[in-house]
Amino acid sequence: GRLLVVPMDGSHWFTMQMVVEKLIHRGHEVVVVIPEVSWQLGKSLNCTVKTYSISHTLEDLDREFKYLSYTQWKTPEHSIRSFLTGSARGFFELTFSHCRSLFNDKKLVEYLKQRFFDAVFLDPFDVCGLIVAKYFSLPSVIFARGVFCDYLEEGAQCPSLPSYVPRLFSKYTDTMTFKERVWNHLIYIEEHAFCSYFLRTAVEVASEILQTPVTMTDLFSPVSIWLLRTDFVLEFPRPVMPNMVFIGGINCLQKKSLSKEFEAYVNASGEHGIVVFSLGSMVSEIPEKKAMEIAEALGRIPQTVLWRYTGTRPSNLAKNTILVKWLPQNDLLGHPKTRAFITHSGSHGIYEGICNGVPMVMMPLFGDQMDNAKRMETRGAGVTLNVLEMTADDLENALKTVINNKSYKENIMRLSSLHKDRPIEPLDLAVFWVEYVMRHKGAPHLRPAAHDLTWYQYHSLDVIGFLLAIVLTVVFIVFKCCAYGCRKCFGGKGRVKKSHKSKTH
Amino acid sequence: GRLLVFPMDGSHWLSMLGVIQQLQQKGHEVVVIAPEASIHIKEGSFYTLRKFPVPFQKENVTATLVELGRTAFNQDSFLLRVVKIYMKVKRDSSMLLAGCSHLLHNAEFMASLEESHFDALLTDPFLPCGSIVAQYLTVPTVYFLNKLPCSLDSEATQCPVPLSYVPKSLSFNSDRMNFLQRVKNVLLAVSENFMCRVVYSPYGSLATEILQKEVTVQDLLSPASIWLMRSDFVKDYPRPIMPNMVFIGGINCLQKKPLSQEFEAYVNASGEHGIVVFSLGSMVSEIPEKKAMEIAEALGRIPQTVLWRYTGTRPSNLAKNTILVKWLPQNDLLGHPKTRAFITHSGSHGIYEGICNGVPMVMMPLFGDQMDNAKRMETRGAGVTLNVLEMTADDLENALKTVINNKSYKENIMRLSSLHKDRPIEPLDLAVFWVEYVMRHKGAPHLRPAAHDLTWYQYHSLDVIGFLLAIVLTVVFIVFKCCAYGCRKCFGGKGRVKKSHKSKTH
Repeated sequence: GRLLVVPMDGSHWFTMQMVVEKLIHRGHEVVVVIPEVSWQLGKSLNCTVKTYSISHTLEDLDREFKYLSYTQWKTPEHSIRSFLTGSARGFFELTFSHCRSLFNDKKLVEYLKQRFFDAVFLDPFDVCGLIVAKYFSLPSVIFARGVFCDYLEEGAQCPSLPSYVPRLFSKYTDTMTFKERVWNHLIYIEEHAFCSYFLRTAVEVASEILQTPVTMTDLFSPVSIWLLRTDFVLEFPRPVMPNMVFIGGINCLQKKSLSKEFEAYVNASGEHGIVVFSLGSMVSEIPEKKAMEIAEALGRIPQTVLWRYTGTRPSNLAKNTILVKWLPQNDLLGHPKTRAFITHSGSHGIYEGICNGVPMVMMPLFGDQMDNAKRMETRGAGVTLNVLEMTADDLENALKTVINNKSYKENIMRLSSLHKDRPIEPLDLAVFWVEYVMRHKGAPHLRPAAHDLTWYQYHSLDVIGFLLAIVLTVVFIVFKCCAYGCRKCFGGKGRVKKSHKSKTH
Repeated sequence: GRLLVFPMDGSHWLSMLGVIQQLQQKGHEVVVIAPEASIHIKEGSFYTLRKFPVPFQKENVTATLVELGRTAFNQDSFLLRVVKIYMKVKRDSSMLLAGCSHLLHNAEFMASLEESHFDALLTDPFLPCGSIVAQYLTVPTVYFLNKLPCSLDSEATQCPVPLSYVPKSLSFNSDRMNFLQRVKNVLLAVSENFMCRVVYSPYGSLATEILQKEVTVQDLLSPASIWLMRSDFVKDYPRPIMPNMVFIGGINCLQKKPLSQEFEAYVNASGEHGIVVFSLGSMVSEIPEKKAMEIAEALGRIPQTVLWRYTGTRPSNLAKNTILVKWLPQNDLLGHPKTRAFITHSGSHGIYEGICNGVPMVMMPLFGDQMDNAKRMETRGAGVTLNVLEMTADDLENALKTVINNKSYKENIMRLSSLHKDRPIEPLDLAVFWVEYVMRHKGAPHLRPAAHDLTWYQYHSLDVIGFLLAIVLTVVFIVFKCCAYGCRKCFGGKGRVKKSHKSKTH
């Protein structure tokens, strides 16, 4: 079949690439559409890659992202609103503008039109894939960790009960106190209020391209299959929809043997083993003071620490700490000598940690990372640190706890065994569903009829109102009749009394 | 591992057999327990059958089934029918309840089960006797079911059911309802609890007695680790689901064998017109004579050969093209390319075999979920539904000719079939996997939603909404009062001036 892929840049692409590669390998004609400048996209892909020119440079993108990630070390931005409209604003504006550039390239649009694709495989993060699917009226498959705001509820018509389903970024668990439930509700209301503001550029671009006013719900609701990178080992169980497919842990599959360099590090670590430390591919630099605190704490543990860090080398770096520009994270985590994993708790890292059964010390920075950390903490498989407040002592204690307290290892091993025990590998599942949508031109039989209802119809408010009106009318009539009857029967007496009264006067 | 199976007798048991066989082949030890008065549950080579005594005979069970078939064709007025069905359900369920109570009070039998230390229990929760056994033995449970009446399943799984687009059982609604249909749906939802109480609440009291703690029916059903649902969204309307529900609809359609010589001969003799398969399921043995003759007449009017599974008296007007058989290999016949149509009572097994083999259907729903199944196939344009009480020979003839000659029915059922069979893993393997999963991990607590620990008003956030509303109202009230006070301060003088002015003019 013919498949159009509209990916998102950054770490998102790592896992999507695995699916795309497998689809290419299975003989599908794949066309990937990407902006001409990007961090990760399109590298070493064995298929047609179409680029379009954009108005900004890689430096612009770097600058915006650096600002975003750097802010997290300094000022707390712990609500979704302050993050999305604060430090992340510039980055999102750049991202949302991509689609305009794509559709400005008339030749490219014409080319895509002529190819008659069977389906679009997309990352909804920059909204462009959704616009492309709608523009060419193609069935689509979403590949995502989750979506912002309430578009999982609106777009897939998936019920989300604020009483036990914590909102994204709320840092709550599925068991909430009354106060937390009140806040969970307020966050929900807040999302409703500010999301249209946050996404206004995206919606503007979409309306402009489709030449008709659209909402985000219009863009999300035609999606055939939602491939969600979650697993209920990490995520709290909640209602889902039949067209959602869970492929969390898809990135943990392929394990290669370590290169000589890393093999040597691991072997030299002795009985204490190693600790793997990475804040992900997106964070390149940490403020100097913070970096020195971290370096100090790392120096105090007996394990060898492999730290993926591209910033300036902290002056107090201890002997047991080895700075590397890159490390084979999943392969290192899979090594039996690995004792702990210091991570920013991005979803990839978390699933690699779970899959390999390594207890974690988590330093969440932004996005879903706080939520991931909270979930691992409630399951007793890791310790969360606040990057703003943490001291060298805190980090040292956290590391010693997860390494020496047996319960952390036991919990993560239990999660690992649950996670890996599945009837079919997530990668195969993802490939199956993309092909399914290509074969059947969508999956209309999985589309709930709820999409065609208004919100008050969905909640049956009109029906409840109608029934209530009937009940009240009946009650009213019965009451009136009774009252009338009473008056008829006892009316005489009443008048008698009155006249009696007047007489006594 | 060691697996305890407590099945429901009847067609429910037949689809469970495949799973048990597969589990035994994987090296598990399977023990099946069943009442002595069972009809379909017999000794098998791949499991140990242990029967327990019950205070009724096999004949009693057979009699209820015959009566059940008769009720479906009963021509009484609607109200009388409802009363009769209610009485029958009450009678039958008290008989089955007595059987359950007999088992649970059978100290010797229960003790022997306890000694076996099973890893898991596989049961059909249609009657929650197995659920009580599971709690008594404290083993994790896997449910294998089609559907529970009265939304007991959605309550027990905490699965939301928006009444606006999820049609209630027996409502004859589809997932697209107009206003009045939605009103009906809501009214049915409100009233269904009363209907179910008669069957299910006695199990609550029985469990309370046995487990020596206060137990409701929902407490019995909700601890189940995995719900294996014999449903597929090719047939059912998409709706919210929970992570511990596994959909294995079509599990019974897998194993296909070549036809026996007898049936091979029938099919080959049918010529270019092919055959029609007709079965009202294993539970219905007899049809009222008048109805049977109407059916026989209609069947005589079509050019196809009809294979009719029927154990009742042979209708006198049976035509030459109609062959009565006591039993037929339904799935294998439906899989034959010469099969043109399938006349079915639309039980879930038959429906999935029809979908799987791509055979258009004429449906005569009799009771239970059969009406719903028929409605779903009809909205998908893959079959025609007949009302067994009102249908005439002409109706049946027309229905058959329509599904055979109108190409759209064949096309629709073939599309459903291709969607249904296109799946990453076979339902049988999936069912086996999840039973083993529960045995390996002693349940699946990570799939249990926190909603189980909330009260109903917490679940719907009524307390939170009330609290927030109270705050908003208080703020509005205070602001209003302040404004009023402010106004009075500012314009108060004028007011008084006016008043005094007025009094002067008087």
